[in-house]
Amino acid sequence: MQPAHDYFKLAQRRQFFASSGLSLGGLAYAMLSGQTATASPSSATQVHPPLPGLPHFAPKAKRLIYLHMNGAPSQLDLFDYKPGLQEHYDKDLPDSVRNGQRITTMTSGQARFPVAPSKFEFKPRGKSGILMSELVPHMHEIADEITMIKSVHTEAINHDPACTFVMTGSEIPGKPSLGSWLSYGLGSESNDLPAFVVFTPTFPAGSQAQALFTRMWSSGFLPTSHNGVALRGSGDPVLFIRNPPGVTKDDRRKMLDALGQLNEGTHARLGDPETQTRIAQYEMAFRMQTSVPELTDLESESKETLEMYGPNVGKMGTYASSAILARRLIERGVRVVQILHRGWDQHNNLPRLISNQCEDVDQPTAALIKDLKQRGLLEDTLVVFGGEFGRTVYSQGTLTKENYGRDHHPRNFCMWMAGGGVRKGLTYGETDDFSYNIVENPVHLNDLNATILHCMGIDDRRLSFRFQGLDQRLTGVETPKVIHDILA
Amino acid sequence: MLTRNQTRGSLAAALLSLLATLLVPHSASAEDEDRIDFNQEIIPILSDKCFACHGQDEEQRAADLRLDNAADATADRDGSPAIVPGKPDTSLVWERISTDDPDLKMPPEDSHKTLTAAEKETIRLWIQQGAEYREHWAYVAPEKAEIPASEFDHPIDAFLDHSRRERDLPHNERADRRTLIRRVTLDLTGLPPTLEEVRAFVADDRPDAYERLVDRLLDRPTYGENMARSWLDLARYADTHGLHLDNIRSMWPYRDWVVQAFNDNLPFDEFTRWQLAGDLLPAPTREQQIASGFNRCNVSTSEGGSINEEWIYRYAVDRTSTMAEVWMGMTAGCAVCHDHKFDPLSTHEYYSLYAFFHSAADPAMDGNKQDTPPVLKLYSEEEKEQIVALRKDLEAVEQQVKEAVASFDYTDPGTLDPAPEPEETETVWFEDGFPAGANVQSSGAPLKLITSGEGPILSGDMALQRTAGGLEQDYFSSGAVFSVPSGGTIFAHCYLDPENLPEAIMVQFHTDGWKHRAVWGAEEKIPFGKSDSTEKVLMGELPEAGQWVRLEVPAAKMGLKPGQKVTGYAFTQFAGTVTWDRMGVVSRVDRANDASWSFAAWKKKNQGKRNNDLPEGLRQLVRGKQPDQWSEEEANQIFEFWIENFYAGTGEELAALKSRKTKLKNQIEKAESNVPVTLVMADLKKPRESFVMLRGAYDKPGDKVSRNVPAFLPPLPETEDGDYDRLDLANWLVSGSHPLTARVTINRFWQQFFGAGIVKTSGDFGLQGEPPVHPELLDWLAVEFVEHGWDMKRLVRLIVTSEAYRQDSTVTPSVLERDPENRYLARGPRLRLSAEVLRDQALFHSGLLVNKMGGEGVFPYQPPNIWEPVAFGGSNTRFYTQSTGDDLYRRSLYTFLKRTAPPPFMSTFDAPSREQSCTRRERTNTPLQALQLMNDVQYFEAARAFAERMLKEGGATPESRLTWGWETTTARPPTKKELALVTELLDDYLNRYQNDETAAKEVITFGESKPDEKLNAAELAAYTLVGNLLLNLDETINKN
Repeated sequence: MQPAHDYFKLAQRRQFFASSGLSLGGLAYAMLSGQTATASPSSATQVHPPLPGLPHFAPKAKRLIYLHMNGAPSQLDLFDYKPGLQEHYDKDLPDSVRNGQRITTMTSGQARFPVAPSKFEFKPRGKSGILMSELVPHMHEIADEITMIKSVHTEAINHDPACTFVMTGSEIPGKPSLGSWLSYGLGSESNDLPAFVVFTPTFPAGSQAQALFTRMWSSGFLPTSHNGVALRGSGDPVLFIRNPPGVTKDDRRKMLDALGQLNEGTHARLGDPETQTRIAQYEMAFRMQTSVPELTDLESESKETLEMYGPNVGKMGTYASSAILARRLIERGVRVVQILHRGWDQHNNLPRLISNQCEDVDQPTAALIKDLKQRGLLEDTLVVFGGEFGRTVYSQGTLTKENYGRDHHPRNFCMWMAGGGVRKGLTYGETDDFSYNIVENPVHLNDLNATILHCMGIDDRRLSFRFQGLDQRLTGVETPKVIHDILA
Repeated sequence: MLTRNQTRGSLAAALLSLLATLLVPHSASAEDEDRIDFNQEIIPILSDKCFACHGQDEEQRAADLRLDNAADATADRDGSPAIVPGKPDTSLVWERISTDDPDLKMPPEDSHKTLTAAEKETIRLWIQQGAEYREHWAYVAPEKAEIPASEFDHPIDAFLDHSRRERDLPHNERADRRTLIRRVTLDLTGLPPTLEEVRAFVADDRPDAYERLVDRLLDRPTYGENMARSWLDLARYADTHGLHLDNIRSMWPYRDWVVQAFNDNLPFDEFTRWQLAGDLLPAPTREQQIASGFNRCNVSTSEGGSINEEWIYRYAVDRTSTMAEVWMGMTAGCAVCHDHKFDPLSTHEYYSLYAFFHSAADPAMDGNKQDTPPVLKLYSEEEKEQIVALRKDLEAVEQQVKEAVASFDYTDPGTLDPAPEPEETETVWFEDGFPAGANVQSSGAPLKLITSGEGPILSGDMALQRTAGGLEQDYFSSGAVFSVPSGGTIFAHCYLDPENLPEAIMVQFHTDGWKHRAVWGAEEKIPFGKSDSTEKVLMGELPEAGQWVRLEVPAAKMGLKPGQKVTGYAFTQFAGTVTWDRMGVVSRVDRANDASWSFAAWKKKNQGKRNNDLPEGLRQLVRGKQPDQWSEEEANQIFEFWIENFYAGTGEELAALKSRKTKLKNQIEKAESNVPVTLVMADLKKPRESFVMLRGAYDKPGDKVSRNVPAFLPPLPETEDGDYDRLDLANWLVSGSHPLTARVTINRFWQQFFGAGIVKTSGDFGLQGEPPVHPELLDWLAVEFVEHGWDMKRLVRLIVTSEAYRQDSTVTPSVLERDPENRYLARGPRLRLSAEVLRDQALFHSGLLVNKMGGEGVFPYQPPNIWEPVAFGGSNTRFYTQSTGDDLYRRSLYTFLKRTAPPPFMSTFDAPSREQSCTRRERTNTPLQALQLMNDVQYFEAARAFAERMLKEGGATPESRLTWGWETTTARPPTKKELALVTELLDDYLNRYQNDETAAKEVITFGESKPDEKLNAAELAAYTLVGNLLLNLDETINKN
């Protein structure tokens, strides 16, 4: 019907929830128990409020954008500059460096472990002088906005367990993802969009793409309402957001008006609070039918902004389009946006293939940071960029100056963070001359996740969920360390 | 206030206390409230703060002191016991935890643990109250309490009545017949009742009408389909391996077995034995072996670079933890890394359980194939006969080949004078199938060789055909070898289906990698190789469709060099239907010097070399000895092998025999591949040694362990050698004296019907789990279950015939406030239907549901791009190819389940991904669910088909039709007000669609099934929207 009418109905319903002692089920219960209502001015009307007591302290970042380069980008060719390697070209990796560390069975049979120096030129970038290679020219422009961590490490040496770990803090499937934990703990500031949105954009043809798994954004043992919702590149952007053919918005409105009344009748008869929740969810579904198309319509973006994200920004489903939509989502109060870009598993032909990958993500990534900044959003939005592990200094397969491949290397890799709560222009952690071992300030992925939670106002020890007899946490059993040195 | 200590000293006080207990049975007296609960309050403190050094872990134990049992904790210890019951002040424990002296304080500084003041006080009080250690309720075998006296006859109600009275909770009257039949039919069969069934039940005035209904429902095959759902969640059943490529796994015979087992009412003890150890039963039947596949349902990997030991370890951990959770409600996973903090399960004990599963015979790498061994092939009698016959034929042909070779009249062209001139020769690489021995693989649907009845054939008897949803191919890269002749031209024949054109086709050749390709059509669709190079020769447009076309590419153009070994080839396509036949190479051959023509030339070429195309014995011979050193017999053996396998000029007779041999081999393979296969459990002949894995690391073995069960549970029966296997473990679980198995099992049944179990944490009966809300009832049911032979149908019948189950579900604010989760059953259960039931219900009302039971997973409607954006390029579950026809409308149980991207209609409604065992599904309530039920084609099409039924079966007036529709979905006729509302809505829609014919057409043609053309489009469209409404009613998506 008319928007005014819709609003009126909604307001009535909210009032009902706010005043009725009956509403103990699901959503209504959550609203009533939102004891931190005073912490954030908008939460009085929040459909998905934070858990009581959360955030634990004033957050530096209210939202998270996580850019995951799936397949493991080579730290040696992007951010971890090792000038000394040229001298070691095609020489064996010294045993003292490898030190008997395990390697995958893809290269454990290799007779030699010849060192492959990066063929790409490195230089200090920005005023801060963070080192980056020529592969990411646009990122050079945001060097002064980020903290580069060169000493991230994990245990998993294969993609499936490593991807599962980087996103859920466990190599074994079944645990909630980072975004789901944040949705669970902090709720959503948007009443018309999900709290946690995921993109799985296209990637260059011919790249060595590893699989993704829905468990990377699933809610695990948390209620499934905290699942990441995939914003899709083709078809319906959100599943079933479109009415069936021949059904208009008005048709749907009429049905929902009737449905609402009939369900109110059911509630009056049976008294089940879930019925009230259901009525509210159907209304939210209806609102999403408007808010999602509005979200994906880039009409209102300026020409300059669009150009900044590069030529693919208008093509739904690309990384560039996902990047600008990420910004639009967080503007609308979405808590977590995760972009999972595939194709970074370069066991061979690395120089050619990584160039293609960088071409796909470099410009939009830099644009996202700049765009957030120009809108004042970077201050309280945390952006994370990285992969599931790193790559080896020794070549897998053919080695020439111009061509080489690299195997999996979990012992150190690079990730960077920018925005809410993170220092600008800092390089943190150091590796040895072969980028094979960490020599200073190791950051385990659990530490990194604890730091992310910290930025979002969460003490990782205190965000837990009882499952299988244990208070389960994103960051595992042992207490991780929040990396205070990188926090502003 | 009376404390236990005081009562001990005074008989009068004891009597008083007893009297108080009798007067206020089980009520929370002041004494009880202040009494420290050992399990709830003390154990968590002790285990977290003390047991690390003073617990069961011997290695870490300090001061030789244990606090985890009364005997050790109260031992004299040279006059300074740690705990003196009743006397905190003389207890060393209190002294040490209450001191401020940093040298004496417990827990010590370096443990990084501290006790809060409240925790200290709790311990002090506990000691003062007598420091009673108690065994955890769930580890003591259940006993049947007397059924309390009550107005209710049904034992369940008698127990509940008792607890409700204690809490002053009322109970509801029985639900009306309509609500009841819908509730129980949905709960037992997963489908709603038909309108006729509802009306017949309402009219059935026999006193036992309800019991009769229950019996009828228990007898339906749909009962098993419904009950299987929760069990498959526990078993983590799915149709893919779950990790990395997440390829297809053939496991569905196990799923069908579960359905059958529920329908056959296999007693739960057998049900347990077969699944945990069916393979170890004496002379196991086919069903028992299939059932053992329970242990094979875990996720597995074949990711390149993986380390075998790591995965063997993980699979065993998964199987152990699953067994412990499913049968014992034990969260054993904690003990993988350290002694369980709360439950008395040590790491050593965990790995003793793990040892039962650690010798499983399945490999670390699943090979990305559907039949990772050990498997059971499920031959039908017909298939068996057919394959035996084919093998017999093959034997005969092999004999004939042998004879033909032996008597082959061969003259070496190398010995002719003058030597023969070079001439044009065709060598066939593909005809009637891939070469024998080749390890053929396919991406997309399985390989399909067609015969002339099935499609176009160019030559021979068979051709290769594929219908692809995207990039798909049939190929091999090992197992057969061809040689590239000099100046050769590769040819292949293809037939493109003009009705379903591909976008691109390609042939590829494997040498030391896939490096030689030629592509026709939209080359960018096939991303392999560098465009316009030998890696990807661009051949231009697609060949003409609807006829056989001979494609030719000079071998050199693809970078194939003379003499080079081709160790594999691929037929590749993007989309469309493509048939391939007769492929090979033509060249001008100089026979006198060609190893394929002249035996002398071959000998010269291979002498002293390792030729991997020769069988082991001959390979040694050729490599190790000069030809002139060969004995006559050896020389003959090599010659005959050469003639059969390498000689290009065998002549028609031998060629025909060889082709027959290939064909038979392919036929056998094809027949074999049609035979259903299922993963089963088996142990290695020689068991692996098992060790405690330190901190759960697969590469850090500690103490060696042998198979055994935890000490806090009943022991295994003694055996002569002290050795046990999985069957002993299974027997132990269902021996009847195990304190956990029956409780855990009946609790899950309870959960299924009432939403929450009597123990809410149905997967955790340990110290951290929630205690039962009705302990006597739980135990009574558990014992009853065992006493009646673990009869599952009997248990289900017992539950659903209780008044608790049959009550009206209406709830008042006052009851809701006191019992929001309905644990005390003051009202009947009202719960949102499960994912599968919601879809099945819609299909059922629409009349579209296809009742066929069992078989391979099907592919119902699924929006595009659920699999594609996540799947690995080489995965055979990368492209979702939707089923057509009946398979779109099968029960949801049969939907193919890909674990890394489960079907949205399932996951949106809380179905687990089956990556690990799931004891309890959530019931969320989200906007995405609303969107799905309103807009998903499978629900909307169902609404249209349902609308057709309203129009045809619902009488002639809108009123009767709407009433019929309403009554069908909710099992009750609408009220006047409801009918008026729906009628108004129908009128609105009628009006709208009469004025918009195009929209009406769109509405009624959404989905694959066709609407009845005789019906008026606008009317049908209007009813479709009303149907959509009815299927979205809160009353329809719940059992009420």
